[in-house]
Amino acid sequence: MPGLNTSMNIAVQALLAEQGALNVTTNNIANVNTPGYSREMAVLQEAPTVIDGGNNYGMGVTLQEFQSVRDQMLQLRLYEENGQQGNAQAQLNSLNQIQSYFADPTKGVGGALTAFFNSLSQLSTNPTDTSTRQQVLLAANNLANAFHASADALQNLQSSLDEAVPQTVTQINSLTTQIAALNAQVAEMQGLGHDPGTTQDRRDQLVLQLSQLVNVSVTQTDHGINITTANGVPLVVSGKSFDLQSGTASGGLQGVYSQGQDITSQLQGGQLGGTLQVRDTVVPDMLGQLDTLASQLATTFNTAHQAGFDLNGNPGGNFFTPLAAVAGAATSFSVAISDPALVAASSDGSAGSNGNVVQLLAIKDQKLPVGFTPVGAYANFVLTVGNYGSNAQANLTASTASLQQLTDQRNAVSGVSIDEESTNMIQFQRAYEAAARVITTVNSMMQTLINIGVTG
Amino acid sequence: MRVNPNIAPDVLAAIYATQQQQDTALQELSSGKRVNVPSDDPLSSSLMVGNQDQSSRTDQYLQNIDTLMSQMQTADTALGSIVTALNQAISLGVEGANGTVSSSQKQQLAQNLLGIQAQVVQLANIEVGGVFLFGGTASTTTPYVLDSTSASGVQYNGNQGVNTVEIADGLKVQTNLAGDQLFQNASGDVFGSLQQLITALQTGTSSDAATATNAVRDALNGITGSRIFYGNIENQLNSTQTFLNQEQVNLKSQENTLIGADIAKAATDLTQATTAHNAALAAAAKILPTSLLDYLK
Repeated sequence: MPGLNTSMNIAVQALLAEQGALNVTTNNIANVNTPGYSREMAVLQEAPTVIDGGNNYGMGVTLQEFQSVRDQMLQLRLYEENGQQGNAQAQLNSLNQIQSYFADPTKGVGGALTAFFNSLSQLSTNPTDTSTRQQVLLAANNLANAFHASADALQNLQSSLDEAVPQTVTQINSLTTQIAALNAQVAEMQGLGHDPGTTQDRRDQLVLQLSQLVNVSVTQTDHGINITTANGVPLVVSGKSFDLQSGTASGGLQGVYSQGQDITSQLQGGQLGGTLQVRDTVVPDMLGQLDTLASQLATTFNTAHQAGFDLNGNPGGNFFTPLAAVAGAATSFSVAISDPALVAASSDGSAGSNGNVVQLLAIKDQKLPVGFTPVGAYANFVLTVGNYGSNAQANLTASTASLQQLTDQRNAVSGVSIDEESTNMIQFQRAYEAAARVITTVNSMMQTLINIGVTG
Repeated sequence: MRVNPNIAPDVLAAIYATQQQQDTALQELSSGKRVNVPSDDPLSSSLMVGNQDQSSRTDQYLQNIDTLMSQMQTADTALGSIVTALNQAISLGVEGANGTVSSSQKQQLAQNLLGIQAQVVQLANIEVGGVFLFGGTASTTTPYVLDSTSASGVQYNGNQGVNTVEIADGLKVQTNLAGDQLFQNASGDVFGSLQQLITALQTGTSSDAATATNAVRDALNGITGSRIFYGNIENQLNSTQTFLNQEQVNLKSQENTLIGADIAKAATDLTQATTAHNAALAAAAKILPTSLLDYLK
């Protein structure tokens, strides 16, 4: 049969339990602003009961454990969306660096093309005039410079993105190393039946950072989590991390390797994927369009130029330096002649004929083999630049909104609420007060009992 | 149901979003442009390349027209002077064909005609900025030189080439008539008939002079006909100029449609964004500091 001592013991246990619970509340409040922190709950449980004389007596409360409140599915969705946001952000950041080059249609290749054809138009009104011929050469050189500047801007972007690859790989490796270490601790605690709590929070937060850099696939196992890239290249398996390596690949650009395998083309998500995509797909596409325009313009123009006669009555030569290959044409685009008299304006050999200028000028309205007029091809190039930019912008807006929503959902489950913690605090305080009062009461009862002996 | 206890990021996102709207509207208003980089509106940016090309071309066409106009006017004026000279020659010829004029008077008339011949040759060699207008495309060599061994009294050093200049997209005008077509064609030969008249007065009979005078008359009619060519081009240049000026206005308005800011809309947007921004700030100020702690003693 339970006595006063039993009550005293139950009350003391209650005091301890409420104190423990208050510890959780304190820790929650302390971490209210810690990124990735999942709130914890004190799991209180009834103590084993005692059956005495047919009665089942409650033996108070025990503080079972502290448990973090989290939704693993949401966490996985967060990783995924974070990867997409990282990708879009990386693309947009890099595209914004070059967009301004192609923002003003009166400048750059477009404006230079127009100015070049205008100089020919001017020449058609006065084909023998040396200064007008000089203007044509000047405009042609400006066009060449515009091609060079645009190609340079794109190539500079490409090389700065290339430099970012090894840096990102280093960041990834540093993260996977930390994750693997924490992963081992988490697995160990789970193996002992403990809630890994803040250790898991720290690990998950690092995985979240990792997912920003590269798109990851996370699977839960008995030994913690396994992290691979979306294509299955292992990054972390249990307590072991697998470093990625970067090194110069065949094209002269940095490749990403995992255990000797080139995985560059497989990396599509995250900041690294976005960087690689702009470096390997977007910039080459843009450069390719410029190169094609430069190459086809030079070829078409030269053919027409050779059909004419220069100021001295000699057959026209190459106006632009013939380009050996399409690749790199925008960079090597240059004017072949420097003597204004060599502009083949004449169609009949006489100095005053402008017949060939009319033919050269007609190129502005002719479709090049690529299917556009020269200015049309540049307009299409601007459209391409704009589309890449606006797609990245749209993706970023969408993934940011989605990420925000997911973060909200995660916080709805795991976030610390000051209101809730305040309420809990009062609850625990009241329970503590009550238990303490029980002790006072029992103490007084004992005093009474002892006094019976004294006075009696 | 548990809701997200940490609303600070959402509140901030709302504030940023309305601030962004404000910035956008303000930028549109201040720059007058809706599209600043290609990604703002890829299609419009792309179309703007064409618009600017067209606009710049149009400027060039207008410049071409100015250049051509002065050439045409110079050519027309020269032809006008030639007509005057030929009319003089005709009246001298008519005088010389009269049987009553003495031989010495005829020589005098022939002298006057030689002067006219020289004047016409000079007019046929008119140049603008070193370019001879009536020499075909051989415009750097003097088209006509006096040549007493030739039947026409002159030698043509030009060619039959003609130039065309584009004055609007797809619209090309012929900008010259070759000298030999202009002065020595089927309807008459200016130099040949002048030489014929001079010879008739120097050594021929009255009827020779009459025949030669008629030949000069035919040549005069031919020139008058050719002047129409220049008149037509001037008309065409004028009407194209009007068209191109209108085109400039159209292109400007197209530019405005493509990338220009709708000022009224931008102003409204700014007002709306400001209201939304204020609301977001007010809401944040009201919500953020509140917690249960405010009510606990």
